[in-house]
Amino acid sequence: MKKCHISFQLNGIITEVLVNPNQTLVGMLRDDLGLTGTKYGCGEGDCGACAVLLDDEPVNSCLVLAPQVDGRRVTTIEGLADGEKLHPLQESFVEKGAIQCGFCTPGMILSAKALLEREPHPNELDIRTAISGNLCRCTGYQKIVEAIAAVAEKADNCGEEN
Amino acid sequence: MILPRFDYEAPDDLKAACKIMAVYGSRACLLAGGTDLLIALKKESLAPVKVVALDRVDELKGIGTASEGIYIGARTTAAELADAWLGSAEQALAEAASLVGSPLVRNLATIGGNLATAMPAADLAPPLLALNASVVLERVGAQREVALEEFFVGPGEQVMSSEEVMTLIFIPQLPEGSGGAFEKLGVRKALERSIVSVAVVISLDDDGRTINAAHIALGAVAPTPMLAREAAASLVGRRAVAKNFAAAAKIAAGEARPRGKRTSTVYSRLMVETLTRRALDRAFQAANI
Repeated sequence: MKKCHISFQLNGIITEVLVNPNQTLVGMLRDDLGLTGTKYGCGEGDCGACAVLLDDEPVNSCLVLAPQVDGRRVTTIEGLADGEKLHPLQESFVEKGAIQCGFCTPGMILSAKALLEREPHPNELDIRTAISGNLCRCTGYQKIVEAIAAVAEKADNCGEEN
Repeated sequence: MILPRFDYEAPDDLKAACKIMAVYGSRACLLAGGTDLLIALKKESLAPVKVVALDRVDELKGIGTASEGIYIGARTTAAELADAWLGSAEQALAEAASLVGSPLVRNLATIGGNLATAMPAADLAPPLLALNASVVLERVGAQREVALEEFFVGPGEQVMSSEEVMTLIFIPQLPEGSGGAFEKLGVRKALERSIVSVAVVISLDDDGRTINAAHIALGAVAPTPMLAREAAASLVGRRAVAKNFAAAAKIAAGEARPRGKRTSTVYSRLMVETLTRRALDRAFQAANI
């Protein structure tokens, strides 16, 4: 089994890795690069705990082979905060009590980020559809939907002030 | 879950991909979206020596329209199909694509992969059957086009040789006044394998009421996705009214060959009837827009 030398943008930083071809993207992020914010859940693309942004689109990183990200852009939950300052979605999740055990949170927030970039004014159905690949066994989703909606509304209000 | 050992190659173009497949044949696996392949590898139902990733093969990407019809690159994702407006009949395909797995899966899963894995419940198969689609298969020194209705052989089986790469899906141009719709039954709205799915495409006469052509395709109710030919034939030359739709839906239910694995055969047939009626109604509306 020949190792693959890959180079990709990880949270904005060019990263070079020598990786086994049978390593998954989630495995490389957690085990080889120490970025444990991405969670490993079902390993079959059902739970969404391992969601990352691949070229800005959310995907299950358990269904991507590590060498496939060669030359591409990967964003994990660690790439969202600006130093000590949390991303507005992270702040809103804390504010609204949208986090309980926290296992689904990184994936939820990345799915929400992709949604807000595509659709800055989502309705509730848009939000629920966007997170339909991210399973939460604690919250019943209501607080999560509220947290995402609050970020969209806040952005709207800021826009009006300007 | 740990993956078995294999070598990995990501050829830069179609020619290189075909060359690798010519050498390795059934000892290699093609990797497109990976949403089925990675699970099969994890479960060790496949044990290839080499995984050939198609990520760099740009010839397999994109959607093109021409006077003769629409060409869809085999590596086009479900998300891309769901967002594309290809026409009022082709909308059946976009609707089906928008219901594949979850948003996370749709960003990976490809049209070529959905067909090549040949699952009886594959969401994109019924609309493509109803649209009379064909697939283009390429190997070193040869290319062939296979009508989709000749493509599926059984659950997980299709006619591709291990040396072939699927490059394109072709949908022939439909006359004006055509409409399509897709209906899927599951126990939930996301991450669901269809219990029954139905795709319908109809073409209306200039009067906007007489049906000139009809195609009805069923998913998850036979060993392969299938066409309900008699049901479709019963509509040709008839008026597009509820009574005729209901009669055709009943015939479609009779044509289905459910195996009773996930639900009872009686229930499957009843749902084929209901979904066919709904799909015909919506296809008629789409044709009249």
